[in-house]
Parts: sequence; structure tokens; C-alpha cells
Amino acid sequence: MRRYLLGRLWQSIVTLILATIVVFVGVRALPGDPALALAGEDRDPESLRAIREQYGLDDSLLVQFWQFVSHAARGDLGQSIRTGESVTTMIANALPVTIELSVLAILVASVLGVGAGVVAAVRRGRPAEWAANALALLGLSVPNFWLGLMAILYLSVALGLFPASGFVPFFTDPVGNLHHLILPALILGTGLAAVIMRQTRSSMLDALSADYIRTAEAKGLSPRAVIGRHALRNSLIVVVTIVGLQLGALISGAVVTERIFALPGFGKLTVDAVFQRDYPVIQAVVLVTAAAYILINLLVDLLYSVIDPRIRVRGDA
Amino acid sequence: MTTRRLPFLLNRSSSSFAGAAAGVIALALIGTACSPVEPAGSEGGGSNSQQAGGQDVFGDPADPAQVKPGGTLTVALSADPDKLDPTLSRSLYSRYVFHTMCEKLYDLGPDAKVVPQLATALPTISADGLSLTIPLKQGVRFADGGTLDSTAVKVSIERGLTLAGSGRKSELGPISAVETPDPNTVVIKLSKPFAPLTAALADRAGMVLSPAAVSRLGANFSTAPVCVGPFKFASRVAQNSIKVVKDPLYYDAAKVHLDAIEYRIITDSSIRSANLKSGDAQVADSLSTQDAPSLQQDGTMTVLQSQSLGYQGLTVNIANANGIGNPLKPLDTPIAKDPRIRQALALSVDREALVKSIFNGLNTVACSPVSPKSEFTSDAAQVCPPHDPAKAKQLLADAGASTPYKVTMITSNNPDSLRLAQALQAMVKEGGFDLVIKPVEYASLLDQQDRGDFELLQLGWSGRVDPDANIYNFVGTSGSQNVAGYSNPEVDELLTDARQSTDKADRVKLYGDVVAKLQQDLPLIYLYRQRNLTGVSKKVLGIQVYPDGVLRAAFAGFAK
Repeated sequence: MRRYLLGRLWQSIVTLILATIVVFVGVRALPGDPALALAGEDRDPESLRAIREQYGLDDSLLVQFWQFVSHAARGDLGQSIRTGESVTTMIANALPVTIELSVLAILVASVLGVGAGVVAAVRRGRPAEWAANALALLGLSVPNFWLGLMAILYLSVALGLFPASGFVPFFTDPVGNLHHLILPALILGTGLAAVIMRQTRSSMLDALSADYIRTAEAKGLSPRAVIGRHALRNSLIVVVTIVGLQLGALISGAVVTERIFALPGFGKLTVDAVFQRDYPVIQAVVLVTAAAYILINLLVDLLYSVIDPRIRVRGDA
Repeated sequence: MTTRRLPFLLNRSSSSFAGAAAGVIALALIGTACSPVEPAGSEGGGSNSQQAGGQDVFGDPADPAQVKPGGTLTVALSADPDKLDPTLSRSLYSRYVFHTMCEKLYDLGPDAKVVPQLATALPTISADGLSLTIPLKQGVRFADGGTLDSTAVKVSIERGLTLAGSGRKSELGPISAVETPDPNTVVIKLSKPFAPLTAALADRAGMVLSPAAVSRLGANFSTAPVCVGPFKFASRVAQNSIKVVKDPLYYDAAKVHLDAIEYRIITDSSIRSANLKSGDAQVADSLSTQDAPSLQQDGTMTVLQSQSLGYQGLTVNIANANGIGNPLKPLDTPIAKDPRIRQALALSVDREALVKSIFNGLNTVACSPVSPKSEFTSDAAQVCPPHDPAKAKQLLADAGASTPYKVTMITSNNPDSLRLAQALQAMVKEGGFDLVIKPVEYASLLDQQDRGDFELLQLGWSGRVDPDANIYNFVGTSGSQNVAGYSNPEVDELLTDARQSTDKADRVKLYGDVVAKLQQDLPLIYLYRQRNLTGVSKKVLGIQVYPDGVLRAAFAGFAK
């Protein structure tokens, strides 16, 4: 097991190094110059030279890469070229917002998706199923930005139910925090709700035609108990797996939602950094994202090996 | 979108990298362009309203009897300011924030004239134009408790001249020394006369920084900026918001009504408007053509309008084949070589129709870099050749160019710029041109511009008070932004004379002469001037916008 663990750790480190190199080179391959993007209107050759010098942009790629990696290894992700702030602080501030938004979106999506999926399966071939299917199709097809704009127009501007923008940290004002996040979470959760609904529906249909359900019905259990305790519980295993797998997609989807609702999250930070060619920020967010992916995959792999000894054996071979 | 991610997530380590990379690509592709400065339409837009017919609405100062003390004002800003350091800052939007927390030696009035702010009078300029004496206000304190004196002014100006990456150096011109004969007087010595200096001191170059904060923070001043102002810096959340709070040490604190101002960055103009309507923000800058009319008709809103001192135009690449900063090298294209083709292109554009159809008559026609609002304007500086496609065709024929003459234009890929480009494309066809539009993302556009990798380029300039700052750098041979690669010794001489003259009438005439030359050579075809549109809730009084485009919120207050 130890050998397997070491092997996987080694693989993860190599992957992380490769990701770092690709991102480092990829960012620099983008057309556009960070010094120009920073200088904007007020640019003159002397200022551009000074900016390049200050941020080491005129050093060779190798020197720049070494600077980045050696500082990152010490936990120093550098300073934003645009604002001069510490990138580590920027990320530390942005990450919790996106995580909270994603968790809320999953909650919203699970409640809506599982509910609609169960209804669609139980009321198969009836208007309720058609309605649920139509909603799922809408959820998958309607882009988040449009839905977000509509939500702001109708729920914030017309009805005044939710704030149209802004963010309050949870520990400062828990109620205000939820009030600000509920609408973005709803918008972000719709696509996932649709996926969950379809998955729940098909799993439920499979489960409802299984022998153990017939047995449960034959035992005289109430339909509610049959659906809730037997069919749904078994169907949810697949659904839970899907939810876990969608987490990454959800965080990417948060980019749009965060921009619409002016939330200080990770996605907004990344996109704005790309547009401004803020190399240290882009590199750092990608590094953190890659590290998170690698860590999650590592944990999943280790869990697999615990559950399924064949994986471990193959790893040892 | 979501289901496609399943396979790599189900896999093991090799997929973790793919996941990260795909995430980055997705992140890079999603979202809308964020343009810090001046693509077409970014500063304002049109309106169907008759009220919008070119009238400036600057807003009025708050009547103390009508406002209540306290409250936090939320301003929806269209772009994230860059470094909150007056020496290093380069974005227009940082000036919005500085207005509330970093006062300047001079300010601008609604008539675009310079007025004293931390100084008590306009500078006394010596007869040879080489010395400016500036008297300072007394009893003024920085937000950290320090006292404003001539030494602090000297520190700030010298920082602007020497700090690596300073954006103020060229604005401050040929300063040879800053002297402090007494605590309340600053004398600036110049190696040669430089008329635009007073106007520069009414902008970031004239902001006075706390010497204590400068010595403590050095180049990191932007992390906790300290100046003299009605408000002081409180916090900043990257790409999201900036908060300033009332400074009790401010010399005129009784005039400050609000407790705090939060600048919230909302890049999408419709969402800014929605925030204004929902009451989540009370002020929103850079309204779009689509949103302004509905806000103007909304009884609870006011739309402030001020004509920009800058311009939007088309730059022709004449001799910028090597990239800016390198020796000029003429392009081997007919439009670069023959001014008649450029004249034909200029004559093909119906500016009146353009302004009416694309901007609903809200923006104004521009044929020169000198704003009609400038105190240095003249009839000569506002001459505008009429739209004449027949003459354009004739000029093309005279130049021996085959028609339709194909020319490729790069432009920013935001909706307003594209709309403008399409209108131009349709318009110049009549004059014998086949305009090919190449939309480019903003950062790439700047890059291509400076590398000289374009034939024709659409971009604008937000404008400064002194005309020199709107002309010299763009059409002077050694201009830092002479991306056309234009070089005309006569124009250079006229511009240098105008720079060094201390006589206003003389400068007015010289700029008129420059415009006449530029209209012959046309390195830049000026099209129109934008109008800065700012939406303000009527719950707030005292928000103002002047021709410098800076939003003035410091002395605003919530209505009783």
C-alpha cells in the first residue's frame, strides 16, 4: 500500500509540474502584453520598460519560470501586476465565496432535481412528467447569463426580493450572506438541477421495475414507503456520484454567475485576470485549481484502492 | 456542457491535469470583454430622448438643507481601477476613487477650467515660463494626521518624476527642481517652458501623498494609500469592490455628508443599470445607449451627461511598420503612401449620420483633436470637411487606386465598437472603399497597435484638459503613442511652440494651424466625441460629472 501511495504521490507531483509548465507557457503565448494592458492609455516606452523591469517580464522565460516556481514553493504567489495586491490574499478571499456559492447551488439543484426526477418517474407518461422533462430541457438549454439577467430584472428590480449584486461574508452577517447568495445559487444550480432530474428519473425508473420493489409492494408497504425508502434510496447512489462529478463544472459555471451578480469569487478573479493579462494571478489561480483537481483525484484513487483491492494489486505489480 | 466533463473526471491522475487545463480554457472563453479604456461607446452612448440632444448635465452640488448625514453610497463602476497609487495609476476609473480620497493642487471646474484645490491660487508663472510658484492651503492634514506642507508636495512631485513605472513622468514635463522656500509655498523650476503643467497638476500628477505613508510603503503605497481627502481608504476586494470612509481630519469635513462610499465593479452595462433600478447601487457610470433612455424616463433617476474631452477615430498606419519606439518605416500600401486615399476615406464618412444612427444624436461630431469645450478651441480647430462620397471617388481615381479600395480595420470586439465598425463599413462603400472588419480582444488590440500590425485601427482617447495631451503624443514624431508612425516636421514645430508658449491666444492659433495640417495628412481620422453618461438615483443629491469624465461623489448625500 505504501508503495502504491508513493507511486500515486509521485504521479501527482509530475502532473502538477507539467500543469505549471503548460500554464506558464500558455499564458505567455496569449496575444497581448501585460505591460501594455496595465499601461492602457497612459503608455510611453519608458513606462512600459519600467513595468516590464519591475515585474521581470523582460527576463528570459527560464528565469521567469524559476522565479515563479521558487516563490510558489515557499507559498508566495507574487503580486498582481494590475493592483499590486498579494495574489495569495486575493485567492484566499475569493475561494470561499465560490465554494459557498457552489455548495448552495448543489443544495438548490439537489432539492429541485431529485424532486422533479421522482415526480417524473412516478407520474410517467402523464403531464407531470412532460412538465418535468420540459423544465429539465429548459434548464439545460437556457444559458446562465440570460437566466441571471432575467432573475435580476424580475426578482430584484421589479419585485425587490433579492439584491442584484454584492456580497456580505457569512461570519459578518449570515442572513445577509444567504440573501445575497440565494439568487446566484439558484441560477447556477439550474443546469445541475436538470442533470440531476434526468439522472434521478432514469435511475428511479430502473429501480421501480426491479424485483425488490415488487417484493416491497407485495409486502403491503405504502407507495410512499416504496418510493421513498426503497426506490429513491437506491437511485440516489448514482445521483450522488453525478453530483460529485459535476462539482468541477459547477465551479467553472460560477464564472458567469459571479460576473453577473458582482460576486468576489474565484471565477471572476480568473476571467478578469485573463483579460488584463495579469500573469501572476492567472498562473496562481490555475496552479491552485490544478492542485485541487489533483488532490481530489488522488483522494478518489486512494478510496478506490481501499474499496477495490484489485487496483492496489495492479499498482503494486 | 456538464455531461462532457464526466469521462476525464472518472479517470485518474492523467485526467487531473486535463481537467485543470480544460477549466482554464473554459474560464478564458467565458465572460465578456473588460475594457479599461476607450473602445468605442465605452464611455457613453445614445438616447432616444430629446433631452439627450447634446446638452451637458453635470449635476448640482448638494444643498446641505436637503441632505441627511450618514449612509453608504454604492457606486456601480464599469471597470476595476488599477493601482490606488496616484503615481503609478493609469486607469480612468482610479481617478473616480482618488477624487474622494486624494485631493490635488488644482481641480477642474464644470467649464473645464483649472481652479485651486489644495493650492490657494493658480500658479504664478515667471516671465520666461521657467518657474511656477504655487501657494498652499494652510491647516490641511493627511488622513494619517500628518500636515500638508511644501515638503510633502515636493516628495509627491519628485516621486512622480523618479519612481519606476511612474505614469506621471511625461505629464510633469521638463521639471528640473522643486523648491520649498517656506512650508506654504512650492516653486517648480523647469528646464524649458511647459504650458500643460498646470492642467497636469489638476490630475493625478497634482495629488499630494502623505510623506509618512510613502516612506513606510514605498512602491506598495497602493495597498494602503494615504492622502488628503473627504474620505480615506478603507478596503479593497480584488476585482470586486473598493470602500472609502469619511475622514474626520479633512479640512472641510462639515461639507461631507456620507459615512462611506463603496465602489462596486460591475462590468456589464445592463447589469449596472439593473442595479441602479433595484436600488442596490445609487450611481452607475458609463451607461449604454440601450439603457440610458429607459433611465431618463424613469422618474426616480437622473442621467448626468458630459461631453468627453477626447475623441473616437480611425488611425491609419503610415509608417509604424517596426512597432512603436523603433525607427519609423513607411508601409508599402497605397493608403499609407498617398494622403489622397486617406482624404477619400475621411470624405466617405458621414459623421452626422453616424452620430444620429448609431448614437441617436447623443454624441457629437469630431473632426479634430481639440474639443469644442476646450478653452483653446477656435473656428480653425473645429473646421469639418463635409461628407462627399463623389469627391472621395474622384480622389481615389486621381491617386490611381483601383476601386473598391480594400482596407482592413481592426477594432475592439465589444458590441458598441462592432456596431460602429459595421456602420462605417456600409458608409464608406459609397465612397469606393471595401472596409474589412477584424474584431480583436482589447488587450490584443493594444498589442497589435503598438507592434504596428494593422492597416487601419479604430480606437479612441478619453481626453485631457490641455490639448497638448490630446495631440502631441499621438501625432508628434516622437509622440509616445504615435501609432500611425506619422512624421511632419511642420506639425512637430507647431506643437512644440504651442507647448512652450505661455500666451493663450498664441496657443489657440497654433492648435488651429495644427488641425489644418492634420486634416491634409490625416494620420488620424477623427469621428466623434463621446458623452459620459452617469445614472444617479434621485435619492442621492450632489453627484456631479465634469468634462474630465471623473465622477464626483465626495460631497453627495442622501436626500432627506
